[in-house]
Amino acid sequence: MIQCKTSKAIGGMGHSLKRKEDDRFIQGKGNYVDDIKLPGMLYMDIVRSPYAYAKILKIDSEAAMKVPGVVAVITGKDLAQYNLHWMPTLMSDTQMVLPTDTVMYQAQEVCAVIATSRYAARDGREAVRVEYEKMKPVIDPYKALDPGAPVLRTDKEGKKDNHIWNWKVGDKEKTDKVFETADVVVKQQMHIPRIHVASIETCGCVADYDKVKHHLTMYMTTQAPHAIRTVIALVAGHVGLSEERIRVVSPDIGGGFGGKVPVYPGYVIAIAVSFLVGKPVKWIEDRTENLQADSFARDYHITAEMAGTKDGKILATRFKVLADHGYTDASANPSKFNTGLFSIATGSYDYGTSFMEADAVYTNKPPGGVAYRCSFRVTEAVHAIERITDRFALAVGKDPAELRMQNFIKKEDFPWKSPTGWTYDSGDYHAGLQKAMDAIDYAGLRKEQAEKRKKGELMGIGISTFTEIVGAGPSKDFDILGIKMFDSAEIRVHPTGKAIARFGTKSQGQGHETTYAQIIAEELGIPAENIQIEEGDTDTAPYGLGTYASRSTPTAGAAAAVAARKLRDKARKIAAYLLEVSEDDLEWEPGKFSVKGAPEKSKTIQEIVFASYTNHPQGMEAGFEAVHYYDPPNLTFPSGAYICVVDVDKETGAINVRRFVAIDDCGHIINPMIVQGQVHGGLTQGIAPAMYEELIYDEDGNILNGTLMDYLVPTAVESPKWETGHTVTPSPHHPIGAKGVGESPTVGAPPAIANAIVDALSPYGITHLDIPITPFKVWKALQEKGVK
Amino acid sequence: MTTTITKQFHVDHPVEETWANLTDPNKVVVCVPGASLTGQVDDNNYKGEVEMKFGPVKAKYDGLVTFLERDSATKKMKLKGVGTDSKGKGGAEMVMDGVLTEKDGGTDVNVTMEVNISGMLAQFGSRLINDVSNQVIDQFINNFKNQLAGKEVEGNLNAGSLMGGMVKGLFGGSKKA
Repeated sequence: MIQCKTSKAIGGMGHSLKRKEDDRFIQGKGNYVDDIKLPGMLYMDIVRSPYAYAKILKIDSEAAMKVPGVVAVITGKDLAQYNLHWMPTLMSDTQMVLPTDTVMYQAQEVCAVIATSRYAARDGREAVRVEYEKMKPVIDPYKALDPGAPVLRTDKEGKKDNHIWNWKVGDKEKTDKVFETADVVVKQQMHIPRIHVASIETCGCVADYDKVKHHLTMYMTTQAPHAIRTVIALVAGHVGLSEERIRVVSPDIGGGFGGKVPVYPGYVIAIAVSFLVGKPVKWIEDRTENLQADSFARDYHITAEMAGTKDGKILATRFKVLADHGYTDASANPSKFNTGLFSIATGSYDYGTSFMEADAVYTNKPPGGVAYRCSFRVTEAVHAIERITDRFALAVGKDPAELRMQNFIKKEDFPWKSPTGWTYDSGDYHAGLQKAMDAIDYAGLRKEQAEKRKKGELMGIGISTFTEIVGAGPSKDFDILGIKMFDSAEIRVHPTGKAIARFGTKSQGQGHETTYAQIIAEELGIPAENIQIEEGDTDTAPYGLGTYASRSTPTAGAAAAVAARKLRDKARKIAAYLLEVSEDDLEWEPGKFSVKGAPEKSKTIQEIVFASYTNHPQGMEAGFEAVHYYDPPNLTFPSGAYICVVDVDKETGAINVRRFVAIDDCGHIINPMIVQGQVHGGLTQGIAPAMYEELIYDEDGNILNGTLMDYLVPTAVESPKWETGHTVTPSPHHPIGAKGVGESPTVGAPPAIANAIVDALSPYGITHLDIPITPFKVWKALQEKGVK
Repeated sequence: MTTTITKQFHVDHPVEETWANLTDPNKVVVCVPGASLTGQVDDNNYKGEVEMKFGPVKAKYDGLVTFLERDSATKKMKLKGVGTDSKGKGGAEMVMDGVLTEKDGGTDVNVTMEVNISGMLAQFGSRLINDVSNQVIDQFINNFKNQLAGKEVEGNLNAGSLMGGMVKGLFGGSKKA
């Protein structure tokens, strides 16, 4: 199915090249932020609030200053002298760096202790005494909108409630009309729980300000180094940190998943302290700080509705969202998209109208709303549409696979305009679901299920046929803080035919060092192993918006292909000069140009590159370099068909995922092995919210599972055997037809699992369970239905 | 994180004597495991501290004990304790309602305790708060009885036995399956 145009020696697209980066990772030679040690470096630790909402009466640092090694305790009032105590969020809201009077969520930064060693900093932290006056917090997002609810953002002049914004898309009138007259209407309230990316490496930085050169080098865990450089310049330009004096370096990253997009207060405090004292300052979060204070993901309360005919034709959908944003709107969305790309919730189905509305509220919880392995709220959208589709199938008495086949957008109808305004680029949903059904023996499973039901055994089959929307994004709509969401590649080929290529993105484990090399190898015929890939240093890499939301292949991958094609055009000119023929008489095959009809007369790409430095045509620019900034004309729309089989123990509620088949369509595949690895990881991060993960807060705003002891991250032990496969529907507008795959499995897996569990319980009249679906939830639901 | 525990116990001492002990801060506070009085603000307000260990987490609370109600006619009392962890990791609040009634020459004591913990202890201790509160109140009752009988009271919450009890509870060691 996957055809390779290049030889294995060249290693272009479609080859399962081993990951170049793994050599250093498996030998412990990675270089992470915490590996960076600079002479004279100071260490920072952060005192955090035990309360969700309290006034700070007094910060007493006397005892802390007596701890040997402690050099300073920095409070909000100290930062206020430089107007650095507040910072903007990506969504143009505001966030405290350090508070001057009030703390708004548990684990919020209260003050920072600076010391000559990490241990001294921690001891100093323990010695700081803070007096608080506790206040009654607002935790429930629905109660946040009550007229009598305390107004949390008193820092905002004239703010009279906890409402942040209202967002609408679609045709309300037309949709309401369809709902009024439709045969069948189903409605389901659901919560997509607040979860955390829980990357293995926590966040941290080393801020190194050189007082002599007036220059800041910021080593940090960031997925978007260039954007961070610009943000630092915007926030701290007034104290002299202008952009040419800032270098951001993002070294190896131990997992990002969206959690390393935001700017956390710790980074800013470290910069401020280094700027003031002229010494490097290291700050590394511990595990609980990471889990309790860093940006959350999801937390959407959704009311989903579907209207259709009694024979199963979907006619319209309606979605109403209440988004709990915590203390500030620190979502990591493109500026114009309050709810990210939630409007993809119309799904993979062909119908005419939809209406969606969302309201966001402030509560006394940590801020966030990061795109956790998901292109801006697509996980929430896909869960809503795939669950409500199953409910609709149940209501009209149709098999959920059959109902999906009946309603899918047809292959020939692409590009397809969705009721909320997207243009789906390509897809073959029927083929994907059919392949998944064949792989799992769907008919056989349904038969087995019927027999088991007769015996009172609980077995469920769940389907999710999702459409993703990635590769943000076209500059007319997509920007972050005004910077358009293009991305870039710069290729330099050395005289001996080996190359270095630099990108504005930043791998956090995606394998860019291998896949980008393969794209360039595909286009230029230079072996991938001779192409070195570099990212993450703003002094050397071209400007880019970073890696998240499955955007690297759709944007920077495209930039690499286009830049390589510019070089191939130059190579053709040089080859024509060297072979003394016209350019039109040349034929390209990966790695060389030869004369049409005289294949023995040829020049390899290496010979051509050498000539560009030693014998280039007069009038032509010497050297062999190209840069391209790629502005995608549209997003890409990967899709997938997932089927999950579960067995549920009636007495204990225990759930066993027996099988899971995932058929993905991410267009042309660059490296099948890396895609498979991405899918395995993504599916595991999909089973996580479906069955295990949720950040739970009590009514006082205490997090009840703020350690990995209580917050259950699935491991290899919990993971079923993933069975993967592909259909290939290239993106028509992408230079190499690729679509992006990193998030698809995380987005698509949860509803497949939830649908399977609900299917298992459906004989007892259970039609919905909110994720995470734990054995206790299942047991309780069965008890409520009187099942013994 | 709030939990409410109600307990009833009987002491073989007359109501008036029991009442005197229960409403005397110097006597009642020492019966609370880990607690001690450190000063008096006025007739109804006292300064004190409580030290407790929840497995690996040690918490020391500095706080204020207030008698909200001491009605010797109806033998009803309400006591409030508010404490802050001395390392700034959180706080605890406890409101105790006590009612005494005469029974068979002795006294029936009805106690309701509402305990609220926040901060680090609430995070770590959410699964333990019921067990711990029960242990605290049981040990209080024991101490209170011993005090009335003129025996010694055990000052510290026995953390070893607490964890041991929980472990046993978890694995069904002390319970019948």
